[in-house]
Amino acid sequence: MSREYRQWVEEYQDQAWTLARYLLKDASEAEDATQEAFVKLWHHRDNIEPGSIRPWLMRVTRNHCLDRLRRRRPEQEFTGYEVVEERDPMHGAEQSELGSWLRRAIAGLREPYRTLIVLRDIQQHSYEEVAGVTELSLSQVKVYLHRARKQLREQLAEVKP
Amino acid sequence: MTERENKTTDMKEERINALLDGELDNEQAERLKRDATSDQDLARSIIEAYQLQRAMEGIRVERAPASLRRKLRRIPRQQRPAWLQPAWVTAYAVVPLLVIAVALMQPREMRPRQPTAAEVAQARQDLAVAFAYIDQVSTRASGEIQSELAGEITDAVAGSVFRTVQDQKIL
Repeated sequence: MSREYRQWVEEYQDQAWTLARYLLKDASEAEDATQEAFVKLWHHRDNIEPGSIRPWLMRVTRNHCLDRLRRRRPEQEFTGYEVVEERDPMHGAEQSELGSWLRRAIAGLREPYRTLIVLRDIQQHSYEEVAGVTELSLSQVKVYLHRARKQLREQLAEVKP
Repeated sequence: MTERENKTTDMKEERINALLDGELDNEQAERLKRDATSDQDLARSIIEAYQLQRAMEGIRVERAPASLRRKLRRIPRQQRPAWLQPAWVTAYAVVPLLVIAVALMQPREMRPRQPTAAEVAQARQDLAVAFAYIDQVSTRASGEIQSELAGEITDAVAGSVFRTVQDQKIL
């Protein structure tokens, strides 16, 4: 079981971390929220269908993040999105100005728009999986996603010549 | 925005997103193109949607920091029941040995001169139980150690290969 857990960590740690980063906009809090989600995964590992590990983990990560956001005082609200520097050649190409701008724009979206964009457009989850993670209906997911993309599009049109 | 306007906008957005997701059949895609030639707003929205999609393709899933990766790998070790924690395992193994050692260290005059046959049998039984327990604990502990070591070695090897590849600028 420990081996299976390690495999889940390898497969999903980056996705859970990315979602937490966009939601909390604070690296140290995102680290804590991701860790809490994986501790929960370890304790509930026998009760989760093997095929549902990813949506389960993403839902728990999101819920931990939302709990943390609710507990935050208004003056604690983080507005920026700082990029964590990692020496990783695969990520070099995206350090462009547009990429940084877009990441900040995504982080500036309201919930559940932010989660929807991260899950669907960055992590390429299926619509069904996104609905499962966010506990929304399929049609709600589609409508909210349209609105989120529209907001980003309009912001992008303003900054692009 | 009124409810009616919201609905109209959502329908338009739905068509644009369906086009981008490749969910429109040929006939629907053609109709959308025709509509876009006579509706400047729609045409602009489609162009902007494509621009956003292209920009989004540059955004990747972020790599979790090394500190988090280490913490996540340690979870099984930290979360196992208290009685399986290394300190307790050692304690369980040491206690019976300690009892035997203390008994042997007793001054000769304090020891019973001749234990009865029942006492000898009981002592043998206790000793067998103690050794069986130690055996069980050490099997379990060695399994845990093996599994942890395998993970650490795999991570160390993967890390060093990655660094080598990075240093030689192969990627």
